[in-house]
Amino acid sequence: MKNKLKLLRAERNWTQEQLGQALGVSRQAVNALETEKHDPSLDLAYRIAALFERPVEDIFENPHA
Amino acid sequence: MLTLSKQHTPAGRRYVLRTFAFMIPYALICVAMMTTDAFDELMGKPAGWALAAAVAAPVVGQLWATLALMRESDEFVRMVTAKQFIIASGLAMAAATFWGFGESFAGAPHLPAWLIYPLFWAAFGLVAPFIRSSN
Repeated sequence: MKNKLKLLRAERNWTQEQLGQALGVSRQAVNALETEKHDPSLDLAYRIAALFERPVEDIFENPHA
Repeated sequence: MLTLSKQHTPAGRRYVLRTFAFMIPYALICVAMMTTDAFDELMGKPAGWALAAAVAAPVVGQLWATLALMRESDEFVRMVTAKQFIIASGLAMAAATFWGFGESFAGAPHLPAWLIYPLFWAAFGLVAPFIRSSN
């Protein structure tokens, strides 16, 4: 699923490890999200949205829209 | 299941330790059975079943360790681990089925059924590096 996660992380100068810790997931999970190798669960998508204080659809492109 | 850098997370490190804890006794018993006559006197006796159970127990333990890894990991690691396990199990079962019917109908030489577990790990080692996506 296309997303702006890498961009948002770069804006804050966070490493994948730091973002993973903030979200409660592994660095591998962050990397998989950024490289579109993992579609997040609704729970994780909302955690990401809350962390970056943006709506989910602002971060993840809705493939069904 | 040491791929996907599992050793980089606390859950992964626990999994690696548990794997060694189960693999070492399994390997020691197998090597002892194949290279020594230490267990020969158990053949045909009820104690032989106890020996068989002793070798099977670490296999069950490894199944628990894998489920524990999935329970203690994030959703990505959980899904990738499940995919790796399912594909490796399927390949091992397919190979065992192929060989079993080969024995029955094509005159293939008999191979012991316990080889399915090493076969599973061989399949796991082959496929795991290529399974990096949960999609």
